[in-house]
Amino acid sequence: MFHMGWFMGTGFGVYNWNQRWSGNVSSDVGNPQLFVDMATSLERAGFSYMMLEDSSVLPNVHRGTFESSVKNGGTIRFDPVPLIPFLTQATKNIGIVATISTSFYHPFMAARLFSTLDHVTNGRVGMNLVTSSNKSAMQNYGLKDLIPHDERYDRANEWVDVVKALWNSWDEDAVLMDEVNGVFADHTKVHTVDFEGKYYRSRGPLNTIPGPQRHPVICQAGGSDAGREFGARNADTIIAAVKGVEEMKSYRDDVSARMIAMGRDPKDVKVLFLISPVLADSKAAAEEKNAAMLKASAENIDAQVAGFSYFTSTDWSKYDYDEPFPDLSKNEGHQSTMNDFARSGATIREAVTNHRTQESVPLIGTPESIATEMGEYMDYAGGDGFLIAKPVTRQNITEIADGLAPALRKQGLIRPSYEHSTFRDNLLAY
Amino acid sequence: MFHLGWFLSFSTQAWHAPHSDRGGLFPNTDVYVDFARALERAGFDYLMIEDGSFIPDAYGSSMEHSLRTGFASPKHDPMALVPLLAASTEKIGLIATMTTSFYPPFLAARLMTTLDHLSGGRVGFNLVTAHNDRTAQNYGMDKHWDHSERYAIATDWAQAVTALLTSWDEDAVVDDTVNGVYADHTKIHQTDYAGDYFSSRGPLNVPPGPQRIPVICQAGGSPVGRAFASRFADTIVAPSGSIEWMKQYRTDIRAGLVDAGRDPDAVKVLFLTDFIIGDTHEDALELQRRRHAAMVADIEGRLAYMSFASGIDFSTFDLDAPVPPVSTNAAKTTTAQMFAGREHQTLREIASTIIPSLEIVGSPATAADQMEAVMAEVGGDGFLVNSPITPRAIADIAGDLAPELRRRGLIRSEYTADTLRGNLTAY
Repeated sequence: MFHMGWFMGTGFGVYNWNQRWSGNVSSDVGNPQLFVDMATSLERAGFSYMMLEDSSVLPNVHRGTFESSVKNGGTIRFDPVPLIPFLTQATKNIGIVATISTSFYHPFMAARLFSTLDHVTNGRVGMNLVTSSNKSAMQNYGLKDLIPHDERYDRANEWVDVVKALWNSWDEDAVLMDEVNGVFADHTKVHTVDFEGKYYRSRGPLNTIPGPQRHPVICQAGGSDAGREFGARNADTIIAAVKGVEEMKSYRDDVSARMIAMGRDPKDVKVLFLISPVLADSKAAAEEKNAAMLKASAENIDAQVAGFSYFTSTDWSKYDYDEPFPDLSKNEGHQSTMNDFARSGATIREAVTNHRTQESVPLIGTPESIATEMGEYMDYAGGDGFLIAKPVTRQNITEIADGLAPALRKQGLIRPSYEHSTFRDNLLAY
Repeated sequence: MFHLGWFLSFSTQAWHAPHSDRGGLFPNTDVYVDFARALERAGFDYLMIEDGSFIPDAYGSSMEHSLRTGFASPKHDPMALVPLLAASTEKIGLIATMTTSFYPPFLAARLMTTLDHLSGGRVGFNLVTAHNDRTAQNYGMDKHWDHSERYAIATDWAQAVTALLTSWDEDAVVDDTVNGVYADHTKIHQTDYAGDYFSSRGPLNVPPGPQRIPVICQAGGSPVGRAFASRFADTIVAPSGSIEWMKQYRTDIRAGLVDAGRDPDAVKVLFLTDFIIGDTHEDALELQRRRHAAMVADIEGRLAYMSFASGIDFSTFDLDAPVPPVSTNAAKTTTAQMFAGREHQTLREIASTIIPSLEIVGSPATAADQMEAVMAEVGGDGFLVNSPITPRAIADIAGDLAPELRRRGLIRSEYTADTLRGNLTAY
């Protein structure tokens, strides 16, 4: 058995604005209902979690204007954190992971917020930690310049240490709620943290009581060396974006080796691989659908390139789209992705057209054929599951939750039901 | 007509007191959902969740009293509760406290705009500077900035947040599905805010919510706090006292608004008020007598409260001697109020005396009489109920008192606007 999740590429944002099968998205920007429907559907499908990406910038790198960002709403992202209670109120079991930046949240605020959310969600919340690689985002937070890539991860490691220390500031048996003797908590079991690090300090303790998970689930993505070290050290689940089943296998092996070196049990981290299955009623129909999607993407090349401009803080509109991808190894954000493109020798047009979403293995076919392939890939790679990286539309949700998931379940590949009440326990159940 | 609000904490409520129902199950959130729905039925303008980020340890130089009794701790983050309440209600305003000392302006502006969308325009933020060194130490400082600098920071913060909240013009979202344009990029502007304490490039990466600028609430009573409120606030949490005192307070606030170039009627001043409601007036007086006796009997609780507010450890003082002059960088106004004109009294006398805030005591009918009379005298905009949320308090105030006020035409019979701002400024 493996885990399923959904990677929401623009978080609590706007998906496929004004496109076919996207419902009332034009007027529903900022409305939670699509995501509530998604949560209930994915819970029906037995998903372990849904993960909301995030970003704190409205880019104006591409052509130097905000046009590509707002014309179709594609880079609008609402704060994912306040959406969480809407999703958990409508569900009972599925985990909800929201992205927060270790560069922008003080550890005390993050520890307290997620301790509270752990209560509000009855133990079903997680945080996806990013270090923020975008210069404009840093400037939104008043920081003058980008912190070098590797230092960001040093800071992030320390950030996690403070947060975990604060989550541990109340002993498990500190809260008594002894109504007869009128003792709420035993003060000898609540401790100051007195954290003094290189980047952060916090006295503690938290003034919130531990939630059902005590430590909300920590999720991480980012394939650079520093990113992988961070994931192996701190994460409970890792989002992996690689190409091909061999890379899937080596990624999982790499995470395991790093964990063993750190004294962690590799089973304590679930590595999920991004996929974007193209589903139809027959293999031929799925191929046709895939070809149509590639064609539409190629025709919309400027929007795709705008995404790269944002990704890399470089205005790609000034390059010839039919020249090879330039070397951006000095790029401070998304290093590993950029290196992959430069190595491939593809033109910008080719790289962008074929990029679509991050996709570890191409999956094109019927629910049954794709389920079988997923099982085989997972057997070979030894990973822990997959994350769907398709745009959030009700059509896509239905194809996955009511098409693919039942096929996976029939083959015994995903859970028939949730065994535990908390996200952490369900994630670590197998 | 006047406005009603309820002032609460996301805390233990009266967790082991009589009639506290599920208070003992803190932090079960069902209690808050039931509460918000009851207040909405009653026509309240808003509920306001105060907040703090430390466990008090001034009294006895230990967290013991606070943790043993559940006094002022734990407190959970109200920003996580607001969405749950928004999902469970349709009309009532939801205000949560945010500290200008520790929330980055961009995070604050984006969070509040998101909540504004999620709630259909019903959120507000109560801005505080956070008064305690312990809070500052949790956020990595040795001690808090002094009182006046905290407000200088808050002013810069409010300007930065306002600049971000207005970074999209009102008509930037065109939602033109025929030509495929969601928003007009020429109406979205880089903010480039640069103040003494904060800078932010902007714009926000979210379109404005229904209110664009969520309602701003403020509670400071000091001169700099009032100056801040007169510039930014839409509603003010006012301490209460004698009729004369409240009248003077409101006059001062209105004068400050005029000085700041604002319409004094644009800001709603709600007085924090204790309510004791009985079936009959005599029942209420008996409840009041018992409540006061219990408070006086709990001298330790009184001293702990005084220590909490002032940061001064009153456990080290002689209970039966006059209190030497004290000064504090913490809640200045509250601390000054405790001792004003009482220099000759012993600590025991001061601690045992109920701080003279406004109490409305009576049957629903006699309580309504009193409220009507207070408003006629003071000319204020309404009341903020200061009570833990227990089923009894909800039943008394939202179930008995509010319908009586409504029958008399003293509070709204229905919500006439969709947004908190709209309802708050409807009258």
